[in-house]
Amino acid sequence: MAETETNVSRRTVLTGVVAAAGTALVVPVVLSNVANSNVAVGTTAGSPTATALGAYLRIDSADNVTLLIGSTEMGQGIMTGLAQLVAEELQLNWTQIKVEHALASAAWPNPYGNPIFGAQLTGGSTSMRGWYMPLRKAAATARQMLVEAAKVVGGTGTWAIIPGGKVSNGTKSLLFSDLVGTAAGLTPPSTVTLATTTNVIGKRMARVDVPAKVDGSAVFGMDVRVPGMVYASVVHCPTLGGVVKTMPTTATGAIALVNLGNAVGVVATDTWSAMNIASSLASKITWTLPTNLASRDSASLQATASRLVADPAAVLNSVKTGGVDAVAALAAAKSKIDVTYNLPFLAHACMEVLNCTASVTATSCEVWAPTQGQQFCIPTIKAITGLDASAITVHTTFLGGGLGRKIEQDYVGQAVKIAKAVGKPVKLIWSRKQDFQNDMYRPCATIRVQAGLDASNALSGLIYRNVSPSINIQRNTKPGNNPEDTGAIAGAADLPYAIGGQRIEYVPLITDIPLGYWRSVGESYNTFAVESALDELAVAGGLDPMDLRRSLLVAGGDARAVAVLDAVKTLSGWTTAATAGTARGVAFLKGFGSYIAVVAQVSQTTVTTATRTTLTIPKVTKLFCAIDCGLAINPDQIESQMEGGLLHGLSAAMWGQVTFANGVPSVSNFSNYRVAKAGDTPTFAVTIVGGTGATAAAPGGVGETGVPCVAPAIANAFAKLTKTRLRSLPFYPGATMSD
Amino acid sequence: MATNLTLNVNGKNYAVSVPSTGMPLLWVIRDLIGLTGTKYGCGIEVCGACTVLVGGQPVRSCDYDVGSAVGKAIMTVEGLAADADGKKAQAAWVDKQVPQCGFCQPGMLMATVGGMKAGHHGTQLASGSSNICVCGTYPRIAKAQQGL
Repeated sequence: MAETETNVSRRTVLTGVVAAAGTALVVPVVLSNVANSNVAVGTTAGSPTATALGAYLRIDSADNVTLLIGSTEMGQGIMTGLAQLVAEELQLNWTQIKVEHALASAAWPNPYGNPIFGAQLTGGSTSMRGWYMPLRKAAATARQMLVEAAKVVGGTGTWAIIPGGKVSNGTKSLLFSDLVGTAAGLTPPSTVTLATTTNVIGKRMARVDVPAKVDGSAVFGMDVRVPGMVYASVVHCPTLGGVVKTMPTTATGAIALVNLGNAVGVVATDTWSAMNIASSLASKITWTLPTNLASRDSASLQATASRLVADPAAVLNSVKTGGVDAVAALAAAKSKIDVTYNLPFLAHACMEVLNCTASVTATSCEVWAPTQGQQFCIPTIKAITGLDASAITVHTTFLGGGLGRKIEQDYVGQAVKIAKAVGKPVKLIWSRKQDFQNDMYRPCATIRVQAGLDASNALSGLIYRNVSPSINIQRNTKPGNNPEDTGAIAGAADLPYAIGGQRIEYVPLITDIPLGYWRSVGESYNTFAVESALDELAVAGGLDPMDLRRSLLVAGGDARAVAVLDAVKTLSGWTTAATAGTARGVAFLKGFGSYIAVVAQVSQTTVTTATRTTLTIPKVTKLFCAIDCGLAINPDQIESQMEGGLLHGLSAAMWGQVTFANGVPSVSNFSNYRVAKAGDTPTFAVTIVGGTGATAAAPGGVGETGVPCVAPAIANAFAKLTKTRLRSLPFYPGATMSD
Repeated sequence: MATNLTLNVNGKNYAVSVPSTGMPLLWVIRDLIGLTGTKYGCGIEVCGACTVLVGGQPVRSCDYDVGSAVGKAIMTVEGLAADADGKKAQAAWVDKQVPQCGFCQPGMLMATVGGMKAGHHGTQLASGSSNICVCGTYPRIAKAQQGL
């Protein structure tokens, strides 16, 4: 029977509160608790009280163990993977473990900072790599303290942990909740022993966040609701780099207009009104445009890159050499290539647009953000509010995709500025157009590869030059400081192939187009060049591209690399003839602590482009993938990341492109930024290599690993099928979502 | 000029005051009623993250006037558990471990359940949706739909 509620929005808002729970020892409950919705969170009435056992674990009166993680869940399944480590060490029932994002910490060292780089941020496929051993040790420490506590509480006997999260002496068992209070007062042991069981690690455990993601209760940044909240949106200068010259002080329906420097914030009573007003303001704001528009023009940048890639006098930011003299080796090569590849700027295009909720008072600031870089939110907020870090609280929500964009602080700073200006909590949501047109774009790249094989078909010489904008240089504000950017040649330097003589050069392309980290970063462009070039070299030498790679990897002495290549060879049926009208191509990558080999099977199709020219392009029918990511914590989630990463790579390869005409981006929505749709999905086959047993290597990364090999595998297959080599991405430029 | 409307969402009546009857249903559901499971993705009916059922039919609520939804049964992701088809679809999504970031999944589920209500099964459900998932969960969505 239907019931009527009046003033629903006010009532819901009042109860939609995020608050701390439990005793003084308790780390505050954060929004991302998968068990809670934003409407249900808030009061502690009826909630079990909980006690912290170290920085990462909290045990409540219902015997649930909550794990606080410093990494951000943005789809990669890290909440689940890390929970598995703890569940194994504590022998928990899978339903006993809960996971929350830790609050951003200003402490240094930061207990929630990824042990690989110290900072509380998520990127570079480092979460499992960084946390695997430290979290196992933390959980094992907790186990030993609970057992010690059992001796105090339960008296004599040999106490040990037993399945279901209990401690037993063989005759009686004690619950964790009986012990945690005592355990929390003990001195942690100086040595810890890791569990030898494999009941959870290596198993296809169900994701802890899936139930909340199918019933609408998962709280993404966009879903945060705070009492008294108003809604905001923004309009940026249509030309990148422009700043507000004049703006109206009021607008019909707006609560406030706020000058944000490069944008105007519009505050209203709902998001739709805020977005509408922001859109209508575009013609009423005047902007001061930057003078150097050519540095924000992709055609102009491409011309410069094409010159620099072949200019012997170009200034190198980085050069890595190895082995014999590469120039002499190339001169003596039996078969060689000299080819240049071009890759475009890309947008992140997260499903969830940028958004942030902020509440600022004279003495405190609280922020709820979909962020991969929560630690950096603290200095961002400090700079705007002048508040001490101790007065700043940053909650991490679920992310509707991060892909590198949500490390950035621009949208967080905007929300804080607007909230400060209006004196009320504000939820800022960008429109999709603002999101596409004010991205921090994946750098474009122009890459020349000169490579040669000697008489024994060894890769005797490689001269590689990457000309692309540098994220590091753009962000380095110290005048005259031009730090070496080795990230720009990630995926080209330190290849696992045996190379006689190599010279890997990086030439920065100077641009004012805002640059950012995009899923798989340097490998997202370098792997296309390296793996396309190896195929071109195989063709030049009359060799099978799989065999050439294998012999170079064998000579390189990396057995894991060889095993992965062999696995994809078998999986794809490489030695059998492909179906008529199709061909297969392979690509390989050692990166992110893992090894991956991908075979694409493609057919061809002819399309008419936006400029009415006819183009024959690949159509991917099958993708085969072999991955060695060391110890496979959750095979199901590794497969899931491979499927998703490969499809993300497919989108970029086929359609991904942003161009800029004097600072104005070419894309404005998914309608003109084509990504893969259900109908584009090829058949997938994924196999995990070396993931089990005592001999498995330490866990490697899986979030980014699937992306880089797709484009070269497709280009290599297409070249085999058509004898036409595709050296520019995307393969179908200018495609719309209806193409 | 604000207008008072009553909307029936997931079997419950909500009295709301909207700035215009042209306000998209999406923002009424999210900002005024406070059900945030339905997502804003593109605002131009391309991505499908905002899909809800109106009178049993899937609609892109980002560009669907709230005035047109008055007097009709609206179902959002929050209402799936109380619907036989919805419950089945949710169970299939859990069984196949479909979601990654999860942001598009409410729309995916609503489009699928709309298809089920139109009598579609299995691969017919897949072909009926053009919703976008940037995580690339399409292979698992197809597997989940296979059993529906």
